[in-house]
Amino acid sequence: MADKKERSGSPGQEPPEPVPAGATPRRAGLGQRLLPYAGYLVVTAGLCAYGLWADNYYYTQLLTFIGIHTLLAVGLNMVMGYAGQISLGHAAFFGLGAYTTGALTVHLSWPPLAALPAALAVPALVAFIVGMPTLKLHGYYLGMGTLGFGMIIHILFREWTALTGGPNGLVGIPVLSAGPVSLAGGKTYLFLVWGAVLLSFGMCSRIVHSRVGRALSAIHFSEQAAAAVGVDTMRAKLEVFVFSAALAALAGFLYAHMVTFISPSSFSFLVSIRIVAMVVIGGMASIWGSLFGAGLLTLLPEWLHVFSEYEVMIYGLVLVVVMIFFPQGLTRGVLDAYERARRRKTGAGPSA
Amino acid sequence: MSAQGEEKPAPVLQLEGVSKSFGGVRAARDVSFSVAPGHIHAVIGPNGAGKTTLFNIITGVYAPDSGRIRFEGADVGGRPVHRRVAMGIARTFQNVELFSGMSVLENVMVGLHVRTRCGFLGAIARPPWVKREEKLARETALDWLRFVGMEKVAETPAGDLPFGWQRLVEIARSLASRPRLLLLDEPAAGLNARETRDLGALLKRIRAQGVTLLLVEHDMSLTMEISDRIMVLDQGVKIAEGTPREVQADKKVLSAYLGG
Amino acid sequence: MQEFLQYLFSGITNGAIYAVIALGFSTLYSATDLINFAQGEFVMLGALLLMTLWTQVSMPLWAAFPLAVLLVAAVGMVFDRVAIKTVKKPSPILLVLITVGASILFRGGAMLLWGKHSYSVPAFSSISAVEIGGAYLFPQSLWILGVVLVLVAGLNLFYHRTLTGKAMQAVAINKQAAELLGVASRKMTLLAWGLAAGLGAVAGVIISPITMSAYDMGTMLGLKGFCAAMLGGLGNFWGAVVGGVLLGLTEAMGVGYVSSSLKDAIAFLLLLLILYAKPTGILGKASSHRF
Repeated sequence: MADKKERSGSPGQEPPEPVPAGATPRRAGLGQRLLPYAGYLVVTAGLCAYGLWADNYYYTQLLTFIGIHTLLAVGLNMVMGYAGQISLGHAAFFGLGAYTTGALTVHLSWPPLAALPAALAVPALVAFIVGMPTLKLHGYYLGMGTLGFGMIIHILFREWTALTGGPNGLVGIPVLSAGPVSLAGGKTYLFLVWGAVLLSFGMCSRIVHSRVGRALSAIHFSEQAAAAVGVDTMRAKLEVFVFSAALAALAGFLYAHMVTFISPSSFSFLVSIRIVAMVVIGGMASIWGSLFGAGLLTLLPEWLHVFSEYEVMIYGLVLVVVMIFFPQGLTRGVLDAYERARRRKTGAGPSA
Repeated sequence: MSAQGEEKPAPVLQLEGVSKSFGGVRAARDVSFSVAPGHIHAVIGPNGAGKTTLFNIITGVYAPDSGRIRFEGADVGGRPVHRRVAMGIARTFQNVELFSGMSVLENVMVGLHVRTRCGFLGAIARPPWVKREEKLARETALDWLRFVGMEKVAETPAGDLPFGWQRLVEIARSLASRPRLLLLDEPAAGLNARETRDLGALLKRIRAQGVTLLLVEHDMSLTMEISDRIMVLDQGVKIAEGTPREVQADKKVLSAYLGG
Repeated sequence: MQEFLQYLFSGITNGAIYAVIALGFSTLYSATDLINFAQGEFVMLGALLLMTLWTQVSMPLWAAFPLAVLLVAAVGMVFDRVAIKTVKKPSPILLVLITVGASILFRGGAMLLWGKHSYSVPAFSSISAVEIGGAYLFPQSLWILGVVLVLVAGLNLFYHRTLTGKAMQAVAINKQAAELLGVASRKMTLLAWGLAAGLGAVAGVIISPITMSAYDMGTMLGLKGFCAAMLGGLGNFWGAVVGGVLLGLTEAMGVGYVSSSLKDAIAFLLLLLILYAKPTGILGKASSHRF
């Protein structure tokens, strides 16, 4: 059968003039070729600068949280932004990662690094099992399926007291250490978390710009057509769902060993929604947007502290207003505004 | 039954007694026919005759209630859509289903999905073979765009193209999977006279590549001109089959079209 | 037997409340294809408003009840105009987030107005509980059942006998066609919002004597009402009723005979079960066409 494929229609047989390889579009100048790496460079430089000069426990904590949230957001963005599948239960994987490492290190006294593979594997496996029936659903039904799953896992955290400590939470999770080297210190941990973030960005952007990523986007635009050109849509959705669960689990692992105390409320329905909001505000199908969305939604409550009682209300208000006026996400919205301004000035067309 | 007619070359596609109904509506009733290799085989019939349903059964979107579908001798019934594409059955849609936000080139590259193999881990690790495969995929996709004359718009978002061009891109995308059987659902719908003529020429060029074509078409002059064989469906039943000339002379066909 | 009856009573009572919330979801969904994640907050607003009007402002119940419902209905309509109509390209994800944002907003607002306290309201009538086969049926349960029955009958009449109700159904079936025939779909959408919010408020009002009311009571009630709506078939009138009662009963039996820690999980387990088995719900039609 394989050689039949070879024989059958190759487009070269009726030759229109072959175009030289150099004519391949998307050849860009050096500046533009470096552009994809600009983000990594900027973040690394920023972290180095912060590591050298700043010394503020509060900010270090905050930046670490932004990193953890970014991991959550970028993972969900793969599922939602690229593959177009709603998930309203992503906090479950975050929690499963945290509780797996929590239970193993607290109850069985495993060293944290030994618990890491399990903390990634358990949520990934759960994602695989749950994903099989759930990802067959579409639109609101998929949203509700993932929501229901998230709620059940949340209730499990609350009720399985022997393992999770119940509503009071799981106390005494050890801080991370590699052999004799403790990674507990604020800045060390900050670098660790952001290392994971940059690594995940690299992985995600490679996936996006690959055969797999194209298949995912194809599913986003038309699942029916994607299947009709040979994409195993179920498999593609399941793979990206599991991948994204593993990233959320990694975030959970890092979170658990940072705060050393976890309770069910950190993995509730509202947390799932917050992750979705990070993705949407940052911009669907935008890897660096996830960083922006996570940053904004992590900082927002901190800024709103000044409003004390009004905090919750304003948080809701901001969410509604942003969604109404920047449905493409703030990143896209700001970039669009910039683009319009630039074009007005120079009269030039949009650049790639 | 009808298979007895074609003796010599083994048929590419063979349907035996295929039936399908939705609720009370019988969209296909005991349909049997076969498509000879290298033919352009047309399915015609009034609206609601069950032509698109037939396509959906052949490509695996619907499972037939009864009957068999053989592709190059192998029973493909029960195989999912994407497996059939990998075997060599490709299709286009009546209303053109491109991935509108992706570039034209990317659309065709998705068409290469079954002819490439980089998986999730390959994408992340990106070893040299993946890079080579990616480069080759890009070049092959461009070749296919050239084949349909759409290489100039390779970087344009597919949704921004005029309808007629989208149709050509869709054909390039389906050809990229290197099918041996291509199903075209009303390829001339929405095209003007000139575009339709060009389409006819393109379909002949596709046949010359060794691809067998099965098409549903309403444009009779096009169908009569390019088809080797025509099957007529009415209300899910095959009422006639033969060369364009034979079909045109058939009384049952006339009465079906005139609403007799 | 006595146990069973007791579970049955409480199951039907809760089920009736879920049914009303589910009706709110379904009313809105069938008219606008939208799922409102702030529906539970309408329930909360109904309960807290009744509490304020009845016990703090000392309004008579017969006035406080409808006033609370009308106020919440107005909130729903304003919300539609301010936040939903202004969205240029609505997509499910966007609308989910807007309504979730709104639910946070409402919750925050309620926290400002009523604080973090829990309030209780006396039963609507002070008759003592009726004993049936050793189990107690509380008068508030009868109130709830009565109100729900009247509501279901009234809505049914509205949909099938009044022009407005029929027009709303027409919009639900085909927005464009209805508009061509002169039905103003924007008005119908607004009405659907009012109706849905009002239904939520009714649920809040009738539930307030048997539960503690607080600013954060809505989330879980909303989600469960949603489960009930899915269970019966999203957008299906009788489906909402059947789904609500079924959910209430399963919950009551599960809590009674298995474990009370199951209580909240049951709704979501049922939800997953129905999604996997028949996503269109018990009374829903086959998947391809909704009507």
